[in-house]
Amino acid sequence: MSGNPFDSEEEPSAASDEILEGFLCPICRADLKSIDYLTEHFARQHAEEEDALKSVFKDIFTKAKKKILNNFDDERERAAPATGTAAASASNASAAASASRTSNARTRHNIFNQLTKQSVGAERAHMEYFQSVRNPRLERYASETNKLIIRLHRLLKDLPSDAVQRKQHEQQTVPWLDGSSVKLCPNCAKSFHFARRQHHCRLCGGIMCNDCSRFLQLENAMQLASLSSTRSEPLQQLLHHEDRAIRLCQHCLWLLDTRQDMHESRTCRPLLAKVYDEIRQLQKQVAPDLDMYVKIINSLLDGESIFTIADAGALRGKIGQVAETIDLRSKRILTIHSEPGSREEALKKAIRLSCVQVIKERMLSLPPLPDEALIKQIQERKRMETEQRILTEQRMAMEAYERYGAANQVGVSTENRNFAQGSDLQSLNNWSAPQASTTKSSVDDPLIEQINIIKGYIKQARQDMNFDVVETLELNLRELQREVYERQRHSSNSSSATTPQADG
Amino acid sequence: MNLISGIKLYIEKMCTESGPGMKIILLDKETTSIISMAFSQSDMLQREVYLFERIDSGRSNERLKYLKCIVFIRPTKQNIQLLANELRNPKYSAYFIYFSNIIPRTDIKYLAECDESESVREVKELYADYLCVNPNLFSLNIPDCMMNMNWLPDALTHSMQGITAVLLSLKLNPVIRYRAGSQVAQLLAKMIYDQTTKESSLFDFRANVDGAAPPLLLLLDRRDDPVTPLLHQWSYQAMVHELLQIRNNRVDLSERPSVPKEFKELVLSGDQDEFYGNNMYANYGEIGSTIKQLMEEFQRKANDHKKVESIADMKNFIESYPQFKKMSGTVQKHLCVMGELSSISNKRNLFEVSELEQEIACKADHTAQLQRIKKLIADERVSIDDAIKLVALYALRYERHANCDTSALLQIIKSRGGNTQIVPALIEYAGMHVRQGDLFNMVRITDAVKLTRILIKGLKGVENVFTQHTPLLKETLEDVFKGRELDPMYPAINSELVPFRRPPQEVVVFIIGGTTYEEALTVHQLNNAGYKVILGGTTIHNSQSFIGEVLSATSGIQFKHTKSMLKYCSPDNL
Repeated sequence: MSGNPFDSEEEPSAASDEILEGFLCPICRADLKSIDYLTEHFARQHAEEEDALKSVFKDIFTKAKKKILNNFDDERERAAPATGTAAASASNASAAASASRTSNARTRHNIFNQLTKQSVGAERAHMEYFQSVRNPRLERYASETNKLIIRLHRLLKDLPSDAVQRKQHEQQTVPWLDGSSVKLCPNCAKSFHFARRQHHCRLCGGIMCNDCSRFLQLENAMQLASLSSTRSEPLQQLLHHEDRAIRLCQHCLWLLDTRQDMHESRTCRPLLAKVYDEIRQLQKQVAPDLDMYVKIINSLLDGESIFTIADAGALRGKIGQVAETIDLRSKRILTIHSEPGSREEALKKAIRLSCVQVIKERMLSLPPLPDEALIKQIQERKRMETEQRILTEQRMAMEAYERYGAANQVGVSTENRNFAQGSDLQSLNNWSAPQASTTKSSVDDPLIEQINIIKGYIKQARQDMNFDVVETLELNLRELQREVYERQRHSSNSSSATTPQADG
Repeated sequence: MNLISGIKLYIEKMCTESGPGMKIILLDKETTSIISMAFSQSDMLQREVYLFERIDSGRSNERLKYLKCIVFIRPTKQNIQLLANELRNPKYSAYFIYFSNIIPRTDIKYLAECDESESVREVKELYADYLCVNPNLFSLNIPDCMMNMNWLPDALTHSMQGITAVLLSLKLNPVIRYRAGSQVAQLLAKMIYDQTTKESSLFDFRANVDGAAPPLLLLLDRRDDPVTPLLHQWSYQAMVHELLQIRNNRVDLSERPSVPKEFKELVLSGDQDEFYGNNMYANYGEIGSTIKQLMEEFQRKANDHKKVESIADMKNFIESYPQFKKMSGTVQKHLCVMGELSSISNKRNLFEVSELEQEIACKADHTAQLQRIKKLIADERVSIDDAIKLVALYALRYERHANCDTSALLQIIKSRGGNTQIVPALIEYAGMHVRQGDLFNMVRITDAVKLTRILIKGLKGVENVFTQHTPLLKETLEDVFKGRELDPMYPAINSELVPFRRPPQEVVVFIIGGTTYEEALTVHQLNNAGYKVILGGTTIHNSQSFIGEVLSATSGIQFKHTKSMLKYCSPDNL
């Protein structure tokens, strides 16, 4: 029973000897043609029925509905992601559009001055109307197909192997049309006689001649009815029987074929597609690394000390590895077999080409690692500049003081100067100075502890090459160190500045 | 108002809306050109579009169910039928259908009925229905739009669709003006007007908040200015088109013997090639010196790289490889084009020819010019095509001159074996009887302003004998932007939109019968001066294609205005 999605639907009607099929209302047994109608009907007509009765059927009904719905994934599932992706892609589109806009503006700025901003032009969507035409049609097909599959399932579930019994079973499941008044084949319009006998479609009971009959292989039929051939004994025998196909009319076979086709096309994932997805995944993953690398290099060349050359080297190595993997994967795509001269082959070549392009343009064109000596030089120069700046600032401050005529406070300000200078030196030397001071003074200071914890984190993040985290942590660290320093200065200041305070 | 980014944004939209995954794009002949003008193949690869397929030819039955399919086609009857067949028997997993223009609802219904396997995910109109040549220049690639001096029906609908697409992609709902007295312009204006009123919901762009004047669509007729396409051009883009022909931004050099193999087909796109983008409006001499500079720069770099001694040097070389390669490619490409241009110019004695052409177009000096023409067209070094063009210019200029001696000149052409039919055909096409506006500055004394301007121009002297001529379009557009009275010469079809005495901010000009790169240069100069102008035409002419257009437009009509040249009119007079 399990595995068959249609059993439960029959249950309400199983009690009576008459066989009903379709979207039946479990109470009044009317065929409602589609799920939507059935739900609506049930809600409207039977809403005020006895609760007891309702709860009995409700259970069955929801169960049935759920199962049918699963089988109906065609409409439902597809409709849902379609709208979902539409919404997502709309936002994507706007993002991409804005991105491309900026790049456009940049590249053509020198030629045309008024082309700064341009939004996507007008558009008109027709999908709603398209669906309003398409979906009712498809729904009709879908319900028809589902009916056929239910029948097919019943037909195959306990198909007797004996020919006479089999025929009886077939007629019992699907009543055959009375052929006595049918003189011509409805399909090819040739007359029936003793050489051209009447045949019946096993799924709709319709009449046709042998030439117009189509046959569905039993294996395929089993697959369609979602039965496994190993389970039932008689079928196992039948499979070895010579007469192992089911006679169908063209229309029924077409419906079944279409269904199978759709199923296949939705689940089709050949090796090529899988490898391709891996490549895309890699490309997506490496994208932030590329930006990060450029950022690190720029930061280094600016003389900042947040990142080290080792960081850049490690990241570069990682990018190189990804590039290599992408290269390998795209080569692997080339080796997948396909007919020479086919589209698939062209597709494989195009994918390879685009991979090579990405590697060449985005990964190999990265700026090289800067020279360590050069970086040192830049950092040194920057330090000098800062010192120079501080000195001039202080001189200006001094002059201001002097203009004020507060001569007795000069001593304090010179003292301050020494401190200020020290603070900048410390931060530039990568927190080495406060570290040294902390070891000898107070290890139990919570701030210092915090600093040590952050340093641990930074180390870990470096190892994981999580440079975004490294950056934020480093900045936090700076702040903490400054805070610690300020405090130290304050305490020493308050002790040494008692005299001027007393004076003031 | 940038046409290239207009198209690009649309295509970008198609690629993102279809989501991630491998894609194929299904195109027709026109949309293939449209896309190729905006994006290179590698651009499309980066957007996961790996295969290109034409819906109308060479289709295979191979099913690739793991591919998504973007369909971008013009909504023609034939395309709808082909697409319906495709949907009945789908080869790909999902279809995202984009039409490049307005499509009737019945066609949507028909397609919906064919989509039995529910593979269509999107149906939209995105108005990318024109070829963007430059950011301010579009073409519709209709080589001959007239016959019997009237529209070919297909060309008329195509023009209407192309112009509406331009308006929609730039979100303009303009005042439509057409050249008075031109039957073709009036008809097109009416078609466009009907379309904008029928689809008024589409054209419902919010009017400018500050009450600025609405944009202007100006429909002109090539016959008002037959001179511009006949003149030899010296600005880079125009010159390449005149001498080597640009088709969809591509130059075919495979016929030229001295061209190296890798440059047999060149892409000249200002969007993708920075050098070209910066220099397409520069003139021949300027380009020469720019290329020389570029060469020196390149050589300096190349020299740097020659000193590859250590391993580090080599690494550096390889790391800067993409830029290096790109730069060397650009330099060589343009050097190659310039080489071809200069060899053609020398061979055909173009400097002398062009100087005389400019003289005829800009100065009235009948006797002297006639002598020079006679001398030049008898010269064997001057090609027969150039000789015919000289005679054609003469015939246009001195059509009503008392001593007009076109017949004698035609006799010389005939003796050289040239096609004399061209000249009378041109007069029939664009002679005095059809022209409007003063093409040759035949100033009446009453127009004092113009007279002074010309006098001043004469006093200043000519800066460059090869670029004296400015197209009539410049004058027309200056009138527009100065807010001059347009109604007598360019009546509006939807006059309820016409603002009171305010010049428009944005102008779209469309020239029926084709535009030229010289006019594009004029528009570019105006844009640099702060105006917003977009230029388009049924096609972009050089002198050859223009003569072709004239011959096909005049085929089948009776020649009424060229009785004196009757004996040179029959086409078998070769």
